Amino acid sequence: MDEKFDCIIVGAGIAGLAAAMTLARNNMKFLLIEKGEFAGSKNVSGGVLWGSDLAKLVPEYWKEEDGGWERFINHRRLTFMDEESTFSVDFKSSHFNETPYSGVVVLRSKFDRWLAGKVQEEIDNSDYAMESFIATNIKVDEVLMEDDKAVGIRTGDEEFHADSVIISEGVNNLLTRQVGLQDDYVPADHMLTGIKEVIRYDQNVLEDRFQLNGLSGMSNEFVGYATDGVEGGGFLYTNRDSISLGLVAGIKDMREKEKSPHDLLNTFKQHPVIQDTIRGGEVIEYSAHVVSSGDKRVMPKELYKDGVLLCGESANLLMNAGKAIQGMDFAMRSGILGAETIVKAKERGDFTSATLKEYKQALADSYVMKDINNFQDAVHMLHNPTMIQDVPNLICDFGRKFFTIDNEPTKKSRKLMQESIKKHSSYWDLMKIGFKGAKSL
Amino acid sequence: MKLLDLTERLGLVSYRNQAKSDIKPHITVDTDICNSTCPHKCTTYVCPANCYTMDENGDVHFQVEDCIECGTCMYACDQGAVDWNYPDPETGRGVTWNFG
Repeated sequence: MDEKFDCIIVGAGIAGLAAAMTLARNNMKFLLIEKGEFAGSKNVSGGVLWGSDLAKLVPEYWKEEDGGWERFINHRRLTFMDEESTFSVDFKSSHFNETPYSGVVVLRSKFDRWLAGKVQEEIDNSDYAMESFIATNIKVDEVLMEDDKAVGIRTGDEEFHADSVIISEGVNNLLTRQVGLQDDYVPADHMLTGIKEVIRYDQNVLEDRFQLNGLSGMSNEFVGYATDGVEGGGFLYTNRDSISLGLVAGIKDMREKEKSPHDLLNTFKQHPVIQDTIRGGEVIEYSAHVVSSGDKRVMPKELYKDGVLLCGESANLLMNAGKAIQGMDFAMRSGILGAETIVKAKERGDFTSATLKEYKQALADSYVMKDINNFQDAVHMLHNPTMIQDVPNLICDFGRKFFTIDNEPTKKSRKLMQESIKKHSSYWDLMKIGFKGAKSL
Repeated sequence: MKLLDLTERLGLVSYRNQAKSDIKPHITVDTDICNSTCPHKCTTYVCPANCYTMDENGDVHFQVEDCIECGTCMYACDQGAVDWNYPDPETGRGVTWNFG
């Protein structure tokens, strides 16, 4: 193929598909390249897609009988865990039953494939119905650079040329490194391994056990014993007839503490509360993938250079500030904003940094970078050992005493809390966390 | 619920080119580095698919067949022993998730 595209997108994950959708709607001629057999076949997430950007991308997506998503979230739970107990903050509200939903659980192999179908519909409706493509089974070996400007890609012996390239290859960002936007070696300090099982149930059992109604669903995050002292946390999300259960564990911390992620997952599953939760289920898939922590120190040096933009996890756009683990929504918004910048570049006939820097500004003006910037303290705090171990331990210790009735004179809660703090932490450590916490959230 | 060991877990994973014996490895490991200067040999426990194993002499060995392309070893190895890439769809062994 000699013809030149307006844009080549590398990677048909959420960022790449959102970019492709935006380009198709703006009548751009593009090529979306995916190394897997189909969009989503290489992708893993927990995971909940938060926010309402999906409704902008696929209006009234919830009306489809079998959309790519599993369940909408109307039940949130944050669980502190010690070896024997769990103490949860639990919020459920029919307020969240309204569309557009504020979060939907997805399984990427299904969701991305469905979204790719929607993108293909937009391509078919565009001026370039016959000249824009989603191409799968192709591994991009190199982004072609001429005078330090991206001009296309190479796969094997074949080259495809374009005025611009959007790199949305995910967190293992080899092309990002190749074009010089990130160092060749990224240390493990702010990277975690996500590890997950999809566990299937009889649908009635699932709906009864998690109090699900129709397509409503629950998200549950875990801190403390879940990761057995390793930086990170656990998660449980309800799918249609299964749950996604897993952990994220800091790679550097596992290295130093000599822990193995699949052992950690078994320890988590053996916790008495989790055992009760997963009883009767059947594991149907085991998966793992690296995620970034949301610490800005791991982000690429820059998000663009002449002819090329970084979207989604290839730019390490992901964050857990304690309220939710967000990444797929960041991917979607960054893909949209990246593609909008490419549309502008075509209008101006200028695909250099002079135009592409507007992507960085658009991202900075959006909730994505605003949240990443505003919640850095929370990200640091969540990865602090006091927060990972001492706080869950003392909360569970307090809970055990608070809820124990033994027909002896009962101590006031304040006294119980003092004892738990003394046993598991110190006022000084908690004050530090408290000050930081008040500031960071 | 019965816990699965890693072999059982990996048995649930769909791989491409499963029947091919001559797949091209997408990760190459300089085990000379692992076995001479590496102070931790952490890939032998942080890899979620146990692609890195240690024998009775404490030597590290690598096999790519079970790799699920998570990327952990690329970050975990701070000794420059791991050359990480994505598998070629035609000649590599890569993973295909059914759920993801």
